[in-house]
Amino acid sequence: MSPTGQLSGLPILAIDSHVRYIQSLDTKKDELDYWLTEHLRLNGVYWGLTALHLLGRPDALPRQETIDFVLSCQHDNGGFGAAPGHDAHMLSTVSAVQILAMVDGFDDLETKGKGKQQVGTYIANLQNRDTGTFSGDEWGEEDTRFLYGALNALSLLGLLSLADVDKAVSYVVSCTNHDGGYGVRPGAESHSGQIFTCVAALAIAQRLDLVDKEKLGRWLSERQVPCGGLNGRPEKKEDVCYSWWVLSSLKIIDLVHWIDREALIRFILSCQDEESGGISDRPNDRVDVWHTCFGVAGLSLLGYPNMETVDPVYCMPKPVIERILG
Amino acid sequence: MASHGVARASGPRTEEQRELDLDKIDRYRTLENQVRQKATDQSFGEETFQLTSKLLRINPEYYTVWNVRRRCLISGLLSGPLPGSSPSKALPSSSATDTPTTSSDASLASSLTRTQQPHDSQTIGHNGTTPEPWAGDLDTIKSELAFTIPLLMEFPKCYWIWQYRLWVLDQAVERLPVSASRRIWEEELGLVSKMLHRDTRNFHAWGYRRHVVTKLESSTLNGSSMTEPEFAYTTSKINADLSNFSAWHSRSQLIPRLLNERKADQAARKDFLERELNLVREGLNVGPEDQSLWFYHQYLIANILETPGYQTIAPDLTDEERKSYVESEIVEIKDLLEDYEDIKWIYEALLEYTLALDKLTKATPSSQHDLSSWLGKLRTLDPMRAGRWSDMEKQWSQA
Ligand SMILES: [Zn+2]
Repeated sequence: MSPTGQLSGLPILAIDSHVRYIQSLDTKKDELDYWLTEHLRLNGVYWGLTALHLLGRPDALPRQETIDFVLSCQHDNGGFGAAPGHDAHMLSTVSAVQILAMVDGFDDLETKGKGKQQVGTYIANLQNRDTGTFSGDEWGEEDTRFLYGALNALSLLGLLSLADVDKAVSYVVSCTNHDGGYGVRPGAESHSGQIFTCVAALAIAQRLDLVDKEKLGRWLSERQVPCGGLNGRPEKKEDVCYSWWVLSSLKIIDLVHWIDREALIRFILSCQDEESGGISDRPNDRVDVWHTCFGVAGLSLLGYPNMETVDPVYCMPKPVIERILG
Repeated sequence: MASHGVARASGPRTEEQRELDLDKIDRYRTLENQVRQKATDQSFGEETFQLTSKLLRINPEYYTVWNVRRRCLISGLLSGPLPGSSPSKALPSSSATDTPTTSSDASLASSLTRTQQPHDSQTIGHNGTTPEPWAGDLDTIKSELAFTIPLLMEFPKCYWIWQYRLWVLDQAVERLPVSASRRIWEEELGLVSKMLHRDTRNFHAWGYRRHVVTKLESSTLNGSSMTEPEFAYTTSKINADLSNFSAWHSRSQLIPRLLNERKADQAARKDFLERELNLVREGLNVGPEDQSLWFYHQYLIANILETPGYQTIAPDLTDEERKSYVESEIVEIKDLLEDYEDIKWIYEALLEYTLALDKLTKATPSSQHDLSSWLGKLRTLDPMRAGRWSDMEKQWSQA
């Protein structure tokens, strides 16, 4: 599986190490961090599973166990918590839907879980029907991350009609800034993570015509710093996760060629731990499954050889999205 | 699960370290199981409340435990909305909150009040003896705000802490008279300023500041516009650090309101525009590599030239005036080249503004020679964005 062809001379992606690293994550119960991060468990499964799919090893986690774990996090109202015993939240609910989509587990959701319709209703009920945005849970925090998550999961479930998509679109537009970017709420400064959520939400709503591509592309392309990595905002440090959000946004507006592709590939590869597996935010930092997912997704999007293709809007394998959305 | 800036460990743990970790895990999980059992039993009294304090100090990312804490407050600790206040949007109708406080450690309100500091003078009734009925709620709200401060200082980027604080502040609006609630929100603005002093770019803190200001301006808190002091705040932040993109952004957001509130006429608006151009140009003269300044400069130029929606500073300029503003900016930027010939931003601005000016005047394209030479410089100085420079060239060669 060594890269060949047009990218000769690049460091090699340590696929086997990364697969072993992700497989080992659930065996670290003797580490305090395992327990301190339980509020991200379902998200963690999504990050790990996405990376495995893109690395060409979709079966590296046991399918039925994965489905059973996901369903054990579901509440009666249809929403999912991060792990059994955790409250339902938009972020873990979206991860649950994405995982079930990847392992083709919607049938199990119907027969053993509370069913698609109930999940869709949970998500749609979190929409603020006055403004169009979404909150993360019953306690009311609103953020464009939740709006994107809602459209993402509802579209995978085939239940987008449960939400007021036009209102959601107007809300996203109200978060546009004069630099072409988007913030977390109207008036908030542009931020790569929020730009991704807003642009991807518009892509799902099929309203990319509302994006000022020229201005946004200009701002996004300036995120690349001399080391090849990308930062989240002006004058900030480069980071593998922000590299993904900038890159995927550029891809959605068709302007990936406005940055240096090979320099970014080199930066991501310089952040991998070749021996023990995993990718970190910057070279020689501690690896984690979050940066492993977004690093691998970045390489896939940049056309690194022998990888499954990633869908920039969903951050999931393209064949899965094609199977579900047709 | 998502670590930033933590160095990679050099080797595996020693057996001794592992034992230590196992001990920590054991204590953490015991505490966690206690909280979970209480939540399962719908027991939201004082004992549960104290357990959440312990657990959240160890792990403030544990959102479910913040929710348990909220349930403790609304099912006993807080007495209830003021008579006549609007029904709370912040009180969800989950089964947990509907449970009456009949558990063994119910009546948290009274038991906790006993452990509180004596009420401060403002909560004492007018006759000087009986506390106001909302005095207990005020104490509880203050003590919740105090609880989260050390956590925020240690974890300034943790979404859940910021969110919990906002929820507590909303409780103040629901449950306290306006004057008391307003004082709490005013103190909050002081806290945000402190956070932004520690980290001038903290994304959460800037967003939070906007939220707090909006609340303080609202009629709910008998507020009025704070546009002028907030605008002055951005000026002071920019004077302290020209590269503060967050402050420049906030400034651009305030300008349309500022000018409307000043009832600025055309002359005042032009004067304002010129002052802003001078401010940012002074910055560029000493730091032409600073992209925060260039983004703000682009914002001003867009205001002069571009889409009507952006023309919020001086919307009634004549085409002649627009042309002359941009021309003089181009001259000033060219002057920068005398001291800094290797800064790509200068060439980018010259290209962008020249092309935009041609569009405005519908003139024949300016000297192709200048455009090509600037583009050549851009390609040399900024090869990473070569694709963008090529697209730019296509644009004007087609025009
Ligand atoms: Zn990161």
